[in-house]
Amino acid sequence: MSVLVFLEFSNDNLKETSKQALTYANSIDDNVYGVSDSDLDDNSMKSLGSFGVSTYLKFSGSFDERNILNCIVTSIKDLKINFLIFPKSNTYLKVSSILSIKLNFSLVTNVVSVPRFKKNIYVKSLIFSGKAESEIEINSDSCIFILNKNIINISSFNKSVLIKEIIDNTNRLYPVKIFSIKKEKIEGDILLNDADIVVSAGRGLKGPENWKMIEELAKELSAATACSKPVSDAGWRPHHEHVGQTGLKISPTIYIAVGISGAIQHLAGINSSKIIVVINNDADAPFFKHADYGIIGDAFDVIPKFINALK
Amino acid sequence: MNILICISCVPDTTSKISFKDNDTKFNSEGVQYIVGPYEDYALARAVELKEKDNSIHISVLNVGLKDNDPLLRKALAVGADDAFRINAFPDNSIHVANQIASFIKENSFDLVLMGKESIDFNSAQVHYLTGSILNIPSLSPVTELNLNIKEKTILIKKEIDDGIETLEVVLPAVLGCQEPIAEWKIPNMRGIMNARIKPLKVLEPCDNEVKVNFSKFSVPEKKENIKIIDENNIDELIEELKLKNL
Repeated sequence: MSVLVFLEFSNDNLKETSKQALTYANSIDDNVYGVSDSDLDDNSMKSLGSFGVSTYLKFSGSFDERNILNCIVTSIKDLKINFLIFPKSNTYLKVSSILSIKLNFSLVTNVVSVPRFKKNIYVKSLIFSGKAESEIEINSDSCIFILNKNIINISSFNKSVLIKEIIDNTNRLYPVKIFSIKKEKIEGDILLNDADIVVSAGRGLKGPENWKMIEELAKELSAATACSKPVSDAGWRPHHEHVGQTGLKISPTIYIAVGISGAIQHLAGINSSKIIVVINNDADAPFFKHADYGIIGDAFDVIPKFINALK
Repeated sequence: MNILICISCVPDTTSKISFKDNDTKFNSEGVQYIVGPYEDYALARAVELKEKDNSIHISVLNVGLKDNDPLLRKALAVGADDAFRINAFPDNSIHVANQIASFIKENSFDLVLMGKESIDFNSAQVHYLTGSILNIPSLSPVTELNLNIKEKTILIKKEIDDGIETLEVVLPAVLGCQEPIAEWKIPNMRGIMNARIKPLKVLEPCDNEVKVNFSKFSVPEKKENIKIIDENNIDELIEELKLKNL
């Protein structure tokens, strides 16, 4: 039995969600392979041992649509790898789907627990947008788990990493039919999905001109900014900041909601946050029922005080 | 140009989720079902495209049980031309993708639209899986879609992990859609009347082995009592959250 973890880097640093995935993989088996499509130097590859990588599979190419290579499929078969672990991201939702079809592996998404091995394999997964959880029974010995964020505490390891090069045999899974026209990067230093702390605001802020203080608070906390659906619908904030049932689903360590009433559709996007702080001038706002900490007060008074207290 | 919209039929976004039979089955009592919000966007965009070019034929497909037929009628009322239902319970993404793929193989579609994810099992992968089975491109989440019928290409905007990418794609392709691709459409009276006579065909599922089962359900524990902090004492909050050492 061996495990392959698909890793992600941001500016050459291993992302927290990838570290979590490695700890998770080590709980299944000691023999943990790592792979990514980032171009790493030898030192970066070797440093992965402290996060639990036993062997790093080095290959040049991209997991992008045009280049998901047969060589990954071949390596997984040759190395008799039977568990693939992915931290959840847009790219990896796709890579894992393709591999599950090409390899005939079972697939479980939104995984929130380590597997239990009995006659079958059991693992927990979030369903109904986080409103419920299910135990999944897997009747197969090869499967793919896509992990939600923050489901395991990162352990440290002391492994020396073996580097194994895998060769691109250049056979594409299907011909090029997609042409990139342009890429626009989202502004801001911290991506909403990666952020440990998120400051989110709603209609209670009355207008887009009042977001300065939210941005300032986020900056003080090294947090990303988010918003509720009415706010992105009104064009006050860009759509990619919208968290909720029909927007992004996030699970930061701390979620701070300012002037958001807490409709059930909004909660669906944030209910797997570890700690929820609600700031609202309406003491009856439903969000307070789902929060760990609450401040009942006007955002226009509370936020400047919050910023000052942090400074 | 033939467009297929695959819809999920899911509990309304405001539904209270509960389980029955010793937590082994979803309790659908009193639950209002809707077309998945993301698929509603996909359908709305297809209808907008058809309004510009009437040569477009829109089919709608659901993998699900008989209770979903009224929602397929609703999709017809919004503007789809015909509807199909594959009679199988859709609780496994690979199973659903296999059903959809075998339907697509037997019929001919230039473009297949789905939602980014269904809001019940949230795998967000049925579009990728279907594309992989059929060996055609699959892209998600798509926030803008324009069609070049003559060239059989589409121009789309798609969210990526750190931004937005604009792509030109040669059809056929499978897309997972998300707002703001279109505004939801509410059927009008004429649409509702027409929908009654549009075809709705029920098909039996193809065989395929399901290796993943939901064995038990649970509802997450409620948050313990909230701690209210005075707005003049924000230091207490900062201390509690240990924000000082960031």
